[in-house]
Amino acid sequence: MALTGLGSARRSRRFLAAGVVLVGALTLVALAAPWLTAYDPDAIVVALYRGPLGPGGAHPLGTDTLGRDVWARLAYGARTSLFVGALAMAISLLIGTAVGLVAGYFGGLVDAALMWVVDLVLTMPSLLLLIVLATILPPSILTIPLVIGIIGWTTFARTVRGEVLTLRERDYVQAARALGAANARIIVRHLLPGVLPGVVVLAALGMSGAIVVDAGLSYLGLGVPLPTPSWGRMVSDSQTYIAVAPWLVFAPGLSIALAVVGFNLIGHGLIDLVERRQA
Amino acid sequence: MRRLAWLLALGALAAACAVPLDPPPSGAPAGDEPPRSGGVLRLGDAEDPRYLDPARGYDVVSWSFEQMLFNTLVEYDQGTNIVPGLVETWTTSPDGRHLSFRLRHDVVFSTGRPFTAADVKFSLERLLKPSIHSQGAEFFHGLEGATDYIAGAAKEVRGIRVPAPDRVEFDLIGIDPLFLHKLAMPFAAVVDREAVERFGDDDFNAHPVGTGAFVLQEWVYGQRLRLARNPRYFRAGRPYLDAVEATIGVSPQLAWLKYQRGELDVATIPPAEYHRVLADPRYRPLLISRTTLRTNYLGLNCEVAPFDRVAVRQAMNLAINKQRLLELADGQGAIANSILPPDMPGAGPVAGYPHDPEAARLKLGEAGLADGFETTLWAYRDPEALRPAQSIQEDLHLIGVTVNLKPVDFPALIEAVRHPGTVSLFLLGWEADFPDPSNFLTVLLHSRSRDTNNNTFYANPEVDHLLDEAEPLLVNDPRRFRLFHEAEVLVMRDAPWVPLLHPAGSAVRHPRVRDLELHPLRPSRVEGVWLAW
Repeated sequence: MALTGLGSARRSRRFLAAGVVLVGALTLVALAAPWLTAYDPDAIVVALYRGPLGPGGAHPLGTDTLGRDVWARLAYGARTSLFVGALAMAISLLIGTAVGLVAGYFGGLVDAALMWVVDLVLTMPSLLLLIVLATILPPSILTIPLVIGIIGWTTFARTVRGEVLTLRERDYVQAARALGAANARIIVRHLLPGVLPGVVVLAALGMSGAIVVDAGLSYLGLGVPLPTPSWGRMVSDSQTYIAVAPWLVFAPGLSIALAVVGFNLIGHGLIDLVERRQA
Repeated sequence: MRRLAWLLALGALAAACAVPLDPPPSGAPAGDEPPRSGGVLRLGDAEDPRYLDPARGYDVVSWSFEQMLFNTLVEYDQGTNIVPGLVETWTTSPDGRHLSFRLRHDVVFSTGRPFTAADVKFSLERLLKPSIHSQGAEFFHGLEGATDYIAGAAKEVRGIRVPAPDRVEFDLIGIDPLFLHKLAMPFAAVVDREAVERFGDDDFNAHPVGTGAFVLQEWVYGQRLRLARNPRYFRAGRPYLDAVEATIGVSPQLAWLKYQRGELDVATIPPAEYHRVLADPRYRPLLISRTTLRTNYLGLNCEVAPFDRVAVRQAMNLAINKQRLLELADGQGAIANSILPPDMPGAGPVAGYPHDPEAARLKLGEAGLADGFETTLWAYRDPEALRPAQSIQEDLHLIGVTVNLKPVDFPALIEAVRHPGTVSLFLLGWEADFPDPSNFLTVLLHSRSRDTNNNTFYANPEVDHLLDEAEPLLVNDPRRFRLFHEAEVLVMRDAPWVPLLHPAGSAVRHPRVRDLELHPLRPSRVEGVWLAW
């Protein structure tokens, strides 16, 4: 993936700020969900179901196809979607960075073997692999981030490896090696800080990717177990109601879009800053 | 920036407003003119029928077309009564083991060849041939000599006799009070022997020839299926339609849109639109709806803890809010308080269980589970099937039972529930093959059905005994229905099921379509349907 900034420093700072505000707002909603709504997201709150209720009154975003409060599900769904995205991204980051550091630093056979694994994972059709894994593993809130994380680490590995290949030739690394520092120490103390800025950028972009994948899996009926609300699941459950009750699709759909835009703005804003610092 | 704000505001407004329901095709929905001949009935189906060969088809789509192409000796009226089809009269011996049919003389196959008793014998023997692999063969294993014939030990089935070209007689091994119903199944439809011999058993499917109101004119696989009027049909003046044309590859959602545009004559209403369509006076006269012989139920595996305890199963019955399940189905059907659908002959009132979460908690306490427990509910993956599942999940949550939902594909679901000790809780429905209580009680709740359709693994010797006693009694024997009723009361006390709903079938018709009715057990028949323009 070619990482490009968004032009001038002022502009990229503005985008970064916008992203932080967006993501911050969504995170705030997720954290403060119990205080933002009086309803239990899983509880059926209408006394008599007569189709989904429109937005307004006691239900600012209406009720869904079971008579549950959509705003409550959206707010608690933010927890699910952000949690899934963050955990998936963290797993990818850990695996990917570790593999990239080791492969780049040791080179040779180790590098070849690890990159062969990366290529292997990349050749597998990821959606198919996701579906297979999500079907085999027992349904739980941890399954989906685990599955997404296990498949998504290759980008981290390749980027970090590339960075390390140049870093390890730098004088300070050579010096550390000449002084007899252990490999582990060199990797952790000297290489890791060097690759971190790039990793942070990737993490922000990976976050939005993971949220989209989670939405896609939920859409296929493989997401977090019912009735736990997640944005993707909310879209898929109400897709046939789009003409009857569009708010059921638009509210979670818009949330997914905002989260993705937010993380992408942060990611691209950071690229610029990182590049400027390195220059 | 201001323009952007406007756009956003407009978008938000659009997102909050539902798209109004489109009107149905225009035209007067009814009139007092007499039936008119001519016209093509336009249908839409998601997939091709799996079969047009009546010996093989066992699904709604196949049956809907087979009914147009073939006839059976006896058939159902608009309800569940048996009436003559290809026969004029029949008699049953006092011991119920011998049936004799006098055939109509005016019936010819669509090729012009007269229909005789030998064709009846040929068709049923073909159905029983092991090489056909018919799922309907087992219904006729009670014919004298059928086992020998299947084993290859006899060239014909002794129990199907043809004393004259217009007479056919059946001898049964034992009493089979449901034999007439079995003869009314499409499996027993009479096929043209010459066509079968010309095309072979397998290719007959693509070249079906029968005595029915229509003949197959064209079948472009995956695209369309066209059946034209059979000019030699034996019922004078029928069918009214010149042809029936089914477009294949039309999903229910697409069928609905095409119906609204006037491109299809019949469609089912998408669940999302139910509520609006039912409330819309423009649609009301076009709605066809009828209760079916179906019960949707929550199955409780009586061999798996904690559902091996009666008190727990009764608690489940008390906990579930069936009124809400009916609301979620937009009122299309009736709440089920017992096993048998209300339209089933022999169905009588059973006390059932009220919705009483407090009583449910007490029952759980009785079973030593006052703190609740955790279990897994298997259900079909479809979003419409998962709505009732989540409603049940919420009901049980309120009495302290944690339910994990396991959405699976339908074939996987019906496979899994058959394995002992695998599925503790499941959502399924059952639709009757025959209008008889045995088709629910014996098939689904007798202990000997545990390796087939008794997926709750319920076994009560007392119930078995009542069912066994009722089984051989003739349908008009009052003891038959009484015994079945007693068995049903016992089953409800033991509570292996939580009966949920008896869903209704519904569809909408184009205003020009007249005299189209839904049938409680079979796809709609179209030979009496006509088009006003």
